[in-house]
Amino acid sequence: MSRSKLQVQEEISPNLIPMIDIMFLLLLFFMLGADMGQRELEEVMLPKALAVKEDREEPGGRKNDKLVVNVYHRYDGEAAACVPYKNGDVCREKKHWRIGIRGRDFTDLKKLEAQLKIEADPLRTAPAAKLSSGQALPPSDRTVIVRADASAPYGYVQEVMNTCAKVGIYKIECGAARPPDSELKGLSASGKG
Amino acid sequence: MAGSQNIGEASDNPVAINVTAMVDVIFCLCIFFMCSFHFKQLQGKIETWLPKDRGIFQGTAASIVKDEICIVLRWDPSQRATLCNVRFQKPASSDDELMQSVLAIAADYDRAGNTTYPLIIDSHPDVPWQDVIHVMDLCKRNKIQRLEFAAPERAIE
Repeated sequence: MSRSKLQVQEEISPNLIPMIDIMFLLLLFFMLGADMGQRELEEVMLPKALAVKEDREEPGGRKNDKLVVNVYHRYDGEAAACVPYKNGDVCREKKHWRIGIRGRDFTDLKKLEAQLKIEADPLRTAPAAKLSSGQALPPSDRTVIVRADASAPYGYVQEVMNTCAKVGIYKIECGAARPPDSELKGLSASGKG
Repeated sequence: MAGSQNIGEASDNPVAINVTAMVDVIFCLCIFFMCSFHFKQLQGKIETWLPKDRGIFQGTAASIVKDEICIVLRWDPSQRATLCNVRFQKPASSDDELMQSVLAIAADYDRAGNTTYPLIIDSHPDVPWQDVIHVMDLCKRNKIQRLEFAAPERAIE
């Protein structure tokens, strides 16, 4: 009997188990890597600085003591087509800018002041209720992190800071991004803008 | 022969599970997370303070700190650039010149035994925030830790 006649048709079935294992690992990596904690932060093109301190919870510090105020360019309607902003220049159209806290709009400074006062009150050094009307509010230990877009004029950031000062918040931290290593040399050697 | 078979082969278990649908779902999830994934840029902070016991919102100051360094920033529309100078000095032509002026004043304060002087940033509202941060960055890199912002000329009401 010849050997070729004994051949049996084999069913080819690829083993999917290693592939599924790898895909599960990939899935886990991307799920854990997706920083859900950043969702409350608006999309802000932060200014670049070398001397930034990483925002970590300090020993003994309460994380909730910090409030993030975003000053960001609108990305809807007319503002979406803002040419200076797209070119990386300063956008001086006030209506293109927004102030946000936890995804809510506080561009109206009265609203912002009311919200900041609510945030500042629990951490005041003296109870605000005991003060007579017209007296300045006692300082609050609440820290505000101002995350403003690099293309924002300082005036808009100043408005946030003034509102903080009004309600007794004096600890201000400015959000900045450390540039990638490829840009570091250029930034450290750059002249004055 | 049973010993030659691999664990998990179909012949071990008569109930065959069709994994194709699961693979499809995992593929979709993978693609979703890959598309939404962006590498985290190191975001940090530069610590600053607003004047705690003086300024337009805090009533009369009990004591006025006179020893301070003030950097003035203003926007020059003709040059489309930010001009920086230490108060009462001419605009600096470079970062190095600005910091030399600042460090010279700081050295004077250090010699006089005053180590708690603040550096006040007095910026015009038109100045780009990036330039303000740049000046703050320069100060921090030169070990000047206490940065404060000047109050505006008029209170916002």
